[in-house]
Amino acid sequence: MESAASVANLAGGDEAKRGLLRTAWDFSFRVVLRYIKNSYKDDPFRTFLEACLIGFIIWYMAKRKYNIGTNEIVLTDKEIDELVDEWKPEPLVPPLTDFEREKLDRAVMIDGPNGTKVRLVSGSGTKPAVNFASYNFLGFIDSEEVGQHAIETLRKYGVGSCGPPGFYGTLDVHMKLEKQLAAFVGHSAAILYSQAFATTLSVIPCFSKRNDIIVADESVSFSVQQAISLARSKVYWYKHNDMADLERILGDVNKQLARRGKGGLPRKFIITEGMFQNTGDIAPLDELVALKHRYKFRIILDESFSFGVLGKRGAGLTDHFNVDPHEVDLLIGALCYALGASGGFCCADKDLIEHQRLSGAGYCFSASMPGILTVAASDAIQALEANPAGFLPALRENATLLRGLLERIPGLQVEGAADSPLIHIRLTPEALVRMRRSGGTWTKEDIDRVLGEMAEEAQKDGILLTPATYVDEHERILPNPSIRICVSCTHTRKEIEKCAHAIKSAVSRVTSKKR
Amino acid sequence: MGKGQRAVHTYKSSGYIEQPRDNDELLSGRKEGGLFKAAPRTSASLLKEQAAEPAPAVVAKAAAKAESPAAEAEDASQELSAVPTFILVTTYLSYLMLIVFAHMRDFLGKIFHPEEYTQLRVQNGFAPMVSDFESLWIRRLYGRIRDCFNRPITGVAGGRVSLLERFSTDFNRSFQFTGRLHNVLNLASYNYLGFAQSEGPCADKVEEALREGGITQGSTRSEAGRTMLLAETEDMVARFVGAEAALIVSMGYATNALNIPTLATKGCLIISDELNHSSLVTGARLSGASIRVFRHNNTRDLEKQLRRSIAQGQPRTHRPWKKILVVVEGLYSMEGEFCKLPEIVELRRRYKFHLFVDEAHSVGALGKRGRGICDHFGVDPREVDILMGTFTKSFGAAGGYIAGSRALIDHLRLHSHSAVYAEAMSVPVLAQVSSSMRMIMGEDRENAVLGQQKLDQLAINSRYFAQGLRDLGFMTLGDAGSPVVPLLLFNPAKIPAFSRECLRRNIAVVVVSYPATPIITGRVRFCISASHTRADLDYALEQISEIGDLLMLKFHKGVAPKALPEHAGKME
Repeated sequence: MESAASVANLAGGDEAKRGLLRTAWDFSFRVVLRYIKNSYKDDPFRTFLEACLIGFIIWYMAKRKYNIGTNEIVLTDKEIDELVDEWKPEPLVPPLTDFEREKLDRAVMIDGPNGTKVRLVSGSGTKPAVNFASYNFLGFIDSEEVGQHAIETLRKYGVGSCGPPGFYGTLDVHMKLEKQLAAFVGHSAAILYSQAFATTLSVIPCFSKRNDIIVADESVSFSVQQAISLARSKVYWYKHNDMADLERILGDVNKQLARRGKGGLPRKFIITEGMFQNTGDIAPLDELVALKHRYKFRIILDESFSFGVLGKRGAGLTDHFNVDPHEVDLLIGALCYALGASGGFCCADKDLIEHQRLSGAGYCFSASMPGILTVAASDAIQALEANPAGFLPALRENATLLRGLLERIPGLQVEGAADSPLIHIRLTPEALVRMRRSGGTWTKEDIDRVLGEMAEEAQKDGILLTPATYVDEHERILPNPSIRICVSCTHTRKEIEKCAHAIKSAVSRVTSKKR
Repeated sequence: MGKGQRAVHTYKSSGYIEQPRDNDELLSGRKEGGLFKAAPRTSASLLKEQAAEPAPAVVAKAAAKAESPAAEAEDASQELSAVPTFILVTTYLSYLMLIVFAHMRDFLGKIFHPEEYTQLRVQNGFAPMVSDFESLWIRRLYGRIRDCFNRPITGVAGGRVSLLERFSTDFNRSFQFTGRLHNVLNLASYNYLGFAQSEGPCADKVEEALREGGITQGSTRSEAGRTMLLAETEDMVARFVGAEAALIVSMGYATNALNIPTLATKGCLIISDELNHSSLVTGARLSGASIRVFRHNNTRDLEKQLRRSIAQGQPRTHRPWKKILVVVEGLYSMEGEFCKLPEIVELRRRYKFHLFVDEAHSVGALGKRGRGICDHFGVDPREVDILMGTFTKSFGAAGGYIAGSRALIDHLRLHSHSAVYAEAMSVPVLAQVSSSMRMIMGEDRENAVLGQQKLDQLAINSRYFAQGLRDLGFMTLGDAGSPVVPLLLFNPAKIPAFSRECLRRNIAVVVVSYPATPIITGRVRFCISASHTRADLDYALEQISEIGDLLMLKFHKGVAPKALPEHAGKME
């Protein structure tokens, strides 16, 4: 470095300066030489390395300077003004297509409370329907007791908390719910977030950073995808629920790391969902835990849809597989689906929870959950804990019943694990081919339209169904179009049968229509 | 109302340079506060760029005016240059000492108490979840003053609030509760209009809604979460902010984080104020667009960035940007400053960018009719492409909205992550939003004047309190009329001291320091509410004055305090 500087100075200096510099140069040269001699005696390889390093630094700095200079075009003010005048930005949003307009017009509107039975706005009036679209697995959304308690809470806590948890937004009911959640799941501690989507979005980037490694299931829901992209870690995707593929990737990653040598071990995570929102499948947690220990990867499990639903007690996937919850390093759950409240939570070791209180962006920078919704979640957990038999057997029975009935409908493909209350249905490829007599291929929009019509037909029969919606252009792998059905333990046998019947007639009506 | 209040709103977007002269002393800071500030009053700018750039004519005029004694206490650059060097030096030294000490404790701790550091080491083949370097600040600096944060409360965070009394026996690692409640004056919650209530007309409306509409939807807005109540409230929000349509999101943070990715994509450019809120940064990062940052509230820097960006196009390829989104906040909550909306709107006309204004703190709190920053400056809301705001603050509810043209909202209803993937807004929150908004708009016939009274009271309270602090000799930040009043503390040791001293005197305050603020300007932030009485504010000022003496915070003590105008606390 020094030599480079003096050479540069030499070029432009006058005679006197030149003499002075030469002295300095000689002196520094002698110092460097002595250093090299000494270190060469000590460890010749190190000297070589250092020399390489210095060479690299010089090369790198020279290169960077060169690059910065070339990319920016120097323009006069007048030219810039012209460019500004010429520049035509795209409109903020593209105009709606006809199909989008149709979708907006078809959107369901509910009058009054949501729940197992709803009143749909149709035309100028309303008509009743049985709801198979809300994630109301345990029927807490229309629970009477919870509603009454909510009013009492309102009279004590008002509605908004008027601040983030750090700044006087932590209510005593938040702390109570956190304790309850940790105890119910069987983990050490819990932290509340005020929206389920934001929970995942905060927790994953809070721990997985640049240079860390994430191996994730390719069918994870959108919130997990977004969280992973926010984390900026190195990401590998394994085939949906394919443990062999996962193991192959874990082995590869570890091999790569071993080749890289010892230079700071990165954090390594397996990320998957308990019950997949996009497929209704259940992740094999027991196998995941075995892989965790074999390959030293931590597990981040998104239980947004499985919490309250799976397991003997309804405590989620760990309960379902009888796995020690501590094996899941970060367990993310939602309170807005099965519990009929709002927000989400994360269960982990106490230190990790405390870390999130300052580093979890969605916790630290957002207002805390309103008291009413917190108490609603508290009540729901209490009810579920006290009497799981009042909810879960009925839920499984209903799910199995509906699945069985749906599987018998010709032209319909039913997806999801056997007793999962989240069922995706879609038309089989054969049915689609049969429908289009003129031949030609089916675009995604066509299928979406058919599913929309099917849902509308079912609504006419008093069954509320909606096609699963996605932001198509942002999904990493867009799931096949489907109608998502959510079974609730409050559905009666009659309603389930009615639902299956409505779907059957909807399928036959849309498939017989000429296209 | 005082005449000054009117003067603020005689602002016209076209002729804002010729502001009517107003001799009301209390409001004399208005000119510097809005557009005529000699230098941005931000702490960041204080050290970096003071008088670095030549002042344009308008700014120079204002600076000259600021030298008159009446405006002296108001002028930012004077205030900041008056910071004793001693304070600056000791602040830096204190932080240096804290950090050195923290490292030393870690170093020695690892030798003598290795069992306490197992979490920070590779264990059984697993890398530590949080590295010791990452968590040094939290463990060693934040840990010392943890008692000043996350103080749990019970009940409503209104003008007064009940804290759960707690103490620590292990240096703030854990807290025990005594079971007693500590009722204190609340200068911390964003309850600007005082709508955080468990009784009164809004709470009654919420109860009614709970009885009729249940609690939540258990679904997303685009599936089975859209109710009549939601649609009606969205229409009302649109009407309130003066837009064609609005979309309601169930969480304020998510309103930004989940909607910006729909508005900008790869090939677009987001130009963001350097002090923008974390949610805006998250949204921008998720969008995949290029991000550039301009200096806080510096429209000249914004213009420079715009010219450069449009002229140079995308990096490397020099292709023109698809679109440029400029993201600013209406009221910066850590600074108490307004964005320079009229100037930005001028720039928007010239440079054709799309303007995103985050009104999280300003909607409901600013402007004569409470409609936010546009109302405050008399700018047509349609000049702003995307009006975003939250209900957490002024409306005493939760969640947020995005408002704009019908085309924008229709697009968002189908394509925004919040509408498609996030839970729909719950019923009680919607009811609180609609009832409080109706009241502010004067549409609630039974309580027609209550909303306007709250707005006026907030304006009076904010000015009274901020002026009071300045007269006492404290160094405050922010624009006149801002309900957020930050007071600079500088030295790190004064930050917890101020908070604890306030608590001892039954006042709840928020203190913030690095990394939420620049390292030098740790501060306490007061949030004024319409629910504070004159007696509350006088009590607070009196106690804060004593604390100020104790902690040597009155940097302007030499300046003679001005008498507070008589009308300040009264209604017309």
